[in-house]
Parts: sequence; C-alpha cells; structure tokens
Amino acid sequence: MSDEIAYATIAELGARYRKRDLSPVEVTQALLARIDKLDPILHAFVTLTADRALADARAAEDALRKGDSRPLLGIPVAHKDIYLTRGIRTTGGSALLADWIPEEDSTCVARWRDAGTVLLGKLITHEFAFGLQMPGHRFPAARNPWNLDHIPGGSSSGSGAALAAGLVVGATGSDTGGSIRGPAAFCGIVGLKPTYGRASRAGVLSLSWTLDHTGPMARTVQDCAYLLQGFAGHDPADPASSRAPVHDYVAPLGRDVGGVKIGVPRNYFFDGVDPEVGRAFEDALGTLRELGAEVRDVQIPSMAGAPSFLLILMAEAFAYHERDLREHPELYGEVLRERILTGALVTASEYMQAQRIRAEICRETAEVMKSVDVLATPTAVKPATPFSQAQNPDFGFPRSNMPPFNLTGSPTLALPCGFSSSGLPLSFQLSGRAFEEGMVLRVGHAYEQATAWHTRRPPV
Amino acid sequence: MSDPHELTLEELRERIRAAGVTIAEHRLAMVRKLLADALAPVRALDSRAIKTVEPAVKFTARREASDE
Repeated sequence: MSDEIAYATIAELGARYRKRDLSPVEVTQALLARIDKLDPILHAFVTLTADRALADARAAEDALRKGDSRPLLGIPVAHKDIYLTRGIRTTGGSALLADWIPEEDSTCVARWRDAGTVLLGKLITHEFAFGLQMPGHRFPAARNPWNLDHIPGGSSSGSGAALAAGLVVGATGSDTGGSIRGPAAFCGIVGLKPTYGRASRAGVLSLSWTLDHTGPMARTVQDCAYLLQGFAGHDPADPASSRAPVHDYVAPLGRDVGGVKIGVPRNYFFDGVDPEVGRAFEDALGTLRELGAEVRDVQIPSMAGAPSFLLILMAEAFAYHERDLREHPELYGEVLRERILTGALVTASEYMQAQRIRAEICRETAEVMKSVDVLATPTAVKPATPFSQAQNPDFGFPRSNMPPFNLTGSPTLALPCGFSSSGLPLSFQLSGRAFEEGMVLRVGHAYEQATAWHTRRPPV
Repeated sequence: MSDPHELTLEELRERIRAAGVTIAEHRLAMVRKLLADALAPVRALDSRAIKTVEPAVKFTARREASDE
C-alpha cells in the first residue's frame, strides 16, 4: 500500500470514497495488512478486530452507495484500551483486566460507531493510564515509530504510535496529566484535550475523576476537528458532561488568524526546557506572527503550584483502585502500584489545599484569558525519552508542561513544530477558553497550513 | 537545620503505617521523592493567604444553569 493511502486525511478519504475511486473495504484491508507488517515491532495494538473492521467497512460502502454524507463514514479508527467496547476485551493495559470483555460501549465509542467509523481494534495504553509497562509485563509497551529505542509517550501510547506509523486514521486518547498531548508531541502528531465536560468520560476507565479528559488524536488539526465533532456533546451518563452548545469545529478552520491574541506565559512553562524545544517554539511563534497573530508575554504566577496536581491525581487514583490494590496487588506493575499507593499517603487536608491551589490557578488563568484568545507553550519540555531511562524504576515522574491545563480544564491542542537534531518530533500546545475548541483548532490549523512538519513520515 | 518543608523518611514511614499499605523498603526513596515533589507547593503555601472560597457545593434548580 502506498503511503498516500496510509497517511490520507479524513477529508481526502471522504472525497475519494464519494468519487468511487477508493472504497472503505480497500482502505481497511490495506491498513490491516500494514498493521500485520508493522505492529509486531511497534506493539501499538493490544487487540485487533479485523472481522469487525471489514464488516464496518462493508456497511460503510452500502451507506455510501445510498448517498450517506456523514464525514466519518468509512474512516478507520481504533480506541485507547481504557475505552470500554461491547464484546471486545478492554484491558486497561493491565494484567488485572487482561481478559475482561465489557457488555457496553463507552459513549465516545458508541458515538463514533454511530457516525459510521470502521473499528480496527484497541490500542495499548500505559497500565491504567498511569504506568509504563516494564519488561516482563503481560503487555509489551508500544514503541515510537520515529525511533524504536524511545517511548512514544503515554499514556495514550498505542494511539500515538499507530497514528504516526499510518496504521489508523483517527484514535481516541485520554488526558489526565498530558496523556493525549504527550504522545502527540513525542510521535509528531496532533492531539486535542477538549474542555472538561465537552467529551464524555462515561464508560472510560478512570484515573482521576476531576482531571480526566477524553479526546481525539489524529495526524492533522482538521482531522482532530472532524473526530471531536463525532463525539462532542452532552451525555447524561457522565455527571461532569456539559450542556454548552456544540459548535461546528470544521467550518471555521479556514479563517485567518489576523488579530488573534496569543499569550505566552513565561513563568513555569520554560523551566528546564531543552534548547531545541525552545528554539522550535520561538520559531512557531514567529510563524504565527507572520500570519498576523499578536503575540505577547503574560504571567500566571500561581502556575508555580501546578506540581501539586499529582496530589489530586494520586489520591483520586488510590480511591478508584484501593480495593483491587489490596486484594490483587500482584496484578499491578510494581512502579504503577507504588505510584497509586502514594495516593494513600496524601492527607485530606493536603488534598484540599491542592484543590485550593488549583482554584487559584483557574482564577488567574481565566483573568489572563480576558486579554488573550489562546495561550501558547511548549508541549513537552524534551523530546521522547529513551526506554533505557523510562524503564528504570527510579525514573520518577518528570516535570511537565501539560498538567496545568488539566487543572484548569481548558481546551488544549498539541501539534508538531519541528524535529530535534536526532530526528525526534517537537511540539507546542495552544490552550483556549472553556468550550472554545474552535479557536485553538483555528490557530493550530493556520500554523499547520503554513508549515510542513505534519507531512514528515517516520522511518518505519 | 532541616528544611521545614522536607518530607523525612520517618514521616513517610509513619504515613505508610497510618494508611495501612505496604511499600517495599527499597522503593521508599522513590516514593519519598514523588510525594515530596507533589507536596512542595502545598507546604510552601500560606493557606490563610488564599482568598478563594472554593470548593463549594453549587445548588441549582436547572442543570443547564450550572453548565456554562
């Protein structure tokens, strides 16, 4: 199969389907063959659903013949393996759930199914979205297609690897402290963490209730917009789900960014930034200026307290896992187990103080967002980490630029902005006001159209 | 003099005992760093200085009103 098909966008596939010079079955067969060839080295998939995919593709062909114009019709996707799938095992990347077959689809899975997508399978996730699989784990860790010796990021590791390698057109991810944006950054793709409450969490294994976000991952900003459109909207099954109106995320993408105000918070987000990341970020700002955006520095002093997000995450994760951890500790990876157990050591007062710090970060960020339309920052402070470091049990939990926007719940888009001298992707993130996904997508799309980073292919 | 914000190994062991969980001795240094890094902003905080009154329960008769 040509790279042209493996890396086709949703709009390109839709146009070719409707011209009848390519069919969903042909694309699905081609991707299944590519998965067969590449996944043994990438380990992006934990479960392949070839029969289901071909059945979905045939159904899409029938619908196309009848004139069905849904944009996601016949688009091959796969789901992070914390999204429940009816009749298809959902492992959470864990030994605990290695053979669990849910009876219901998560809301996002059901909405993409109803939109006519083709389900290729389930993508490996870090164990319970929090712990990289160590050697000897029931499931191998996904590899980065740009360099197999490096991690693809996590926890939506399989989603990042599969998209970069041209195995799927779209994927779901989840983001509690950067798990959509990290793999997007390390794999040279695009990931959108929507506003908290914009996309349903119902039927998705939880890591931390107040920080968890579901969202789409793709290779282009426009594809992310199509995919978000496919599942955004109120869901009564998710208590945090919003009734805020769902806008058209695709139509405004062509608008220019002249006069758009971009704030760059110079405190916190530049501590420890790798020089190559810093240069790529400044170049991206230069491009946005050339496109007519007004870029200026802003300050959000309370961001200094952002590392306390881990208190919230670990305490909530312990609450979720406590019973299984006490009854089946051997079914958790050692490093993950100690991370979650650390949540048991957080006092109630400390948890509440962390939430108060969070409230202050939200308040200051909202104040800054009165004077700018989006915030721009580097996504990851360094390129992808080598496995030799990440699989060291003492590696720890590195400082990150991504959790601040889990604390605020703001819509945040990560997209490629260059490559390191060693050939690894670099990324920056755009964060907007609540429920203004359209603005971050518009700015991201304008930048993407002015650059060619998203057109580079990994050497797999 | 020790840093008042420091999480000592003794305090960590006390927390582990109180929580009734088991963490291997050879992993204590790692857990201590993980917890200490996350606690640092909280320990540096003068809780009286934060003016926010959140979190607070919000009561609304119509769900829509609370969603914007």
